[in-house]
Amino acid sequence: MSRSRSIRFRRSSRKVAQDFEINITSLLDVMVIILVFLLKSYMASTMLFTPAKGVQLPISASPDDPKDANMLAITPEGIFLENERVVEFIQTAEEVGDKANYTFRESDLSGQTIVPLYDALVKLRTRSEMIKENSPTRVEGRPVPFRGSLAIQADKLVSYRILQKVMTTAGEAEFTVFRFLAVKRET
Amino acid sequence: MLNRPSARRSHLSGPLTLNLVPMLDAMVTLIAFMLYTASFIALVSIDTPVPSFAPTTLINQEPLQLTLTISSTGVTLWSPFKRIDTYTIPNLGDGTIDLATLHAKAVSVKQRFSAETKIILVPAAGTSYDELIGVMDTIRDFEKTDPTITVKDSQSGIDQVVPRLFPEIIFGNLGGAR
Repeated sequence: MSRSRSIRFRRSSRKVAQDFEINITSLLDVMVIILVFLLKSYMASTMLFTPAKGVQLPISASPDDPKDANMLAITPEGIFLENERVVEFIQTAEEVGDKANYTFRESDLSGQTIVPLYDALVKLRTRSEMIKENSPTRVEGRPVPFRGSLAIQADKLVSYRILQKVMTTAGEAEFTVFRFLAVKRET
Repeated sequence: MLNRPSARRSHLSGPLTLNLVPMLDAMVTLIAFMLYTASFIALVSIDTPVPSFAPTTLINQEPLQLTLTISSTGVTLWSPFKRIDTYTIPNLGDGTIDLATLHAKAVSVKQRFSAETKIILVPAAGTSYDELIGVMDTIRDFEKTDPTITVKDSQSGIDQVVPRLFPEIIFGNLGGAR
């Protein structure tokens, strides 16, 4: 009796294993919705700037989306140009406390100019000019003139003293437009 | 005489199930990639040009050259050519800049000089980036409650609504700028 029951059970379990299929249609539906949402959020900003690590950006009501520019971030560790550290601060925010008071190394400064930043910006400009020189796009037979613009990200506690030096240095390296980045205020 | 119906056709007419597994694989990979690279914080920008020397031109009237000086005690809205009264707005009790009063003063200046778009910003060394962004927001755009300001179009003579307050901000104390 018990033997015949076990055979019956084995037969039925085999049948279930053969016919078993997961219905993934509903899962696919959810995934398509997520994909559409992500693609839409991708298209919302033409130029993607991600907030720099360790930087708490201020909130702004500005209606302007950030346009194409070279990224410069002032973080507690130093100044980053295109995600590459060019200047290192002596003090960090943790050492100073809640008031950020980033201090430059004496060797990095020449008056109001931050020397390593100036060198890095000039290198960036030279590279950009070289690309424009070799580009077929011409304005009155000449290469498109360099119009350097810098997207600046800074912690909300960073003082104007630092920003002033950065902007002065960028101006000397012929970067003529500054785009101050901030987090969009929710309306 | 009719031919015998094809056996293959009858075989295909059974329940048809699409194999969605490869599509699901691709989607999972795409979503993982997009989630990793997506930025959910929307950023905005405030553009300012580097100050430059303008070519000397003869002008009939002294310019407004609206200037906003930020100090540790407050802000001052003034014109070097005395085209407006100097407004000094002290900080609020908690030491923050009185942005509401500053905005009201900026609107009153705009009502008098509706064609003016530029403002020179002179912040103190200790002004934080947060305060700077707050001040720039205040003086660049109108708020919904502000009165509508119009300017007469020089060609058509039709009154046009001024869309922004002082959108062109120039830093007045940058050394070494061109």
